[in-house]
Order: sequence, then C-alpha cells, then structure tokens
Amino acid sequence: MLLAASSIQVGSEQLDVSWFLLLGAALFVLGAIGVLIRRNPLVMLICIELMLNAVNLTLVAFSRQLNNREGQLFALMTMTVAAAEAVVGLAILVDIFRVRDLEDVDDLSELKG
Amino acid sequence: MGAATLVFWIATLVALAGGLGVVLFKEPIRNVLSLVLVMLSLAVLFLLLSAQFVFAVQVIVYAGAVMVLFLFVITLLGPVREQGTVRLPWQIFISAVVIAAFAGFLVAMLRGVSYRTPDAADPIFGSVQSIGVGLFTDYLFPFELTSILLLVAAVGAIYLSRGAR
Repeated sequence: MLLAASSIQVGSEQLDVSWFLLLGAALFVLGAIGVLIRRNPLVMLICIELMLNAVNLTLVAFSRQLNNREGQLFALMTMTVAAAEAVVGLAILVDIFRVRDLEDVDDLSELKG
Repeated sequence: MGAATLVFWIATLVALAGGLGVVLFKEPIRNVLSLVLVMLSLAVLFLLLSAQFVFAVQVIVYAGAVMVLFLFVITLLGPVREQGTVRLPWQIFISAVVIAAFAGFLVAMLRGVSYRTPDAADPIFGSVQSIGVGLFTDYLFPFELTSILLLVAAVGAIYLSRGAR
C-alpha cells in the first residue's frame, strides 16, 4: 500500500480514504500537465478547473475521514472562486478574440516590458 | 467486491479517462465535455463520501452552469486552431521534469499523512442542514465575502464584454 490506510464506512462496506487522495493527486497532476503543454488559452482555463476539482475531492475526502464539515464548506468556497475565475477569464478571452485571432497564449506577449 | 467498492472504481477510472481527455483532445469542445465527465464522476465520489450537498452543487452549479458557460464561449469563438505542443526549445523536457518533481512531491506529502482520530460521529453529516448551519453560524463572514466576490466577478465580466467603447 502506497499510503497510510484509513478506512471509512460506506453502507456495509469499508472504503479506503487514501485512494481518494491518490485520485485527487493524479487529477491535479493531469491538470498541471495540461497547463504546461497546451497552448490554447481556453484549454488552459479548462485545465485549471480540473485542478480545482481535484483539490475539492481531497478536501471532501479529509472532511469525511475526520467527520468534520469544514472540509465540505471549504469545497463550496472553492467552487465559488472557480466560478468567479471562469467568468472573468472567459470574459477576458472573448474580449481579446474580438480584437484579434489568437492561436497561442504566446501571441499575447507584446505587453511584456 | 461490494457495490460501493465497484462504484468507487468505476467512477475513478471514468475520472482518470476524462482527465486524460482534458489534456489530450485537440478540439476545445471535447476538452470541455471530458471535463464534464470528470465532474460527474467526482460528484459520484462525493456521494460515496456522504457529502450530499456538495454533490448537488457539483452537478447543478459546476457541471451545469460553469461548463455551459465554457460551451457558450467555444461556440461564440468558433474553432481555434492550435499549433503543435512545442513552443519553446526544451519545453517538453522541462515540463516533464517539473511534473515529475511535483508528482513526487505530492506522493511524498501524502505518504507523510497521519490521520487524526475522527471527531464524534455526526448523524446529519454532509446534509443540507449540516452545511446550512455551518454557513450561517461559524462561517457567516466568509460566506458573505463570497457574495461580494461573485458580485465583483459579475461586474468585471460585464465591464469586459460591454462591446464598443
């Protein structure tokens, strides 16, 4: 077993919290890979959403393991922040695309000093 | 293998497949639909973790509203051509090194996790009642702050998309 095990009761069965944590880590790494190698700004935003979802899974898994509702409350806050981030990011993208056709985030590099 | 274990592994595999789809598909519409797949399978996992309210919010707000927003923007912008994945020399190599280091760091951190003894069992754990009591008593101030955050985001989005200036 890769991680310290801690089982939770689901119905009449036992599930291991550490699998949830590993899945969250795997999804977060996948999102990070996407941000690093993709060039389309829209896809990069989607990958950031994937990372935020992975963090939510970790928060809810720890919340269940500790019988503590704070993790779920914080997951709800994360969802709010993710929604706000998506709205503003997409508005900026639409505004840029109205002026020019963008194929790559590096096309926006002329603002650098 | 019982039903809950089976549901867990199916949801896990679907989530991982969706995550791979988010990274690998070339058309943005497929990326978004893969992300919807990930979100729905995570919603199933939330239900397994007895977080009913987070499950409902995930399905309605996230998979429903936020992803529809992404789909709207994709249909608005039309197909975006994406060049190959290499934009800098050594980029793939450097990305691989960074990702490997980061993944190793995450696993090392998770290996160091030692679980604290759980709090006393809560009969209404994860229900709307439990979350609502939390939001309106102990966490009232952060809850109100999120409403300001959403207002600022809405005003900002309207300002950015107001058209001719």
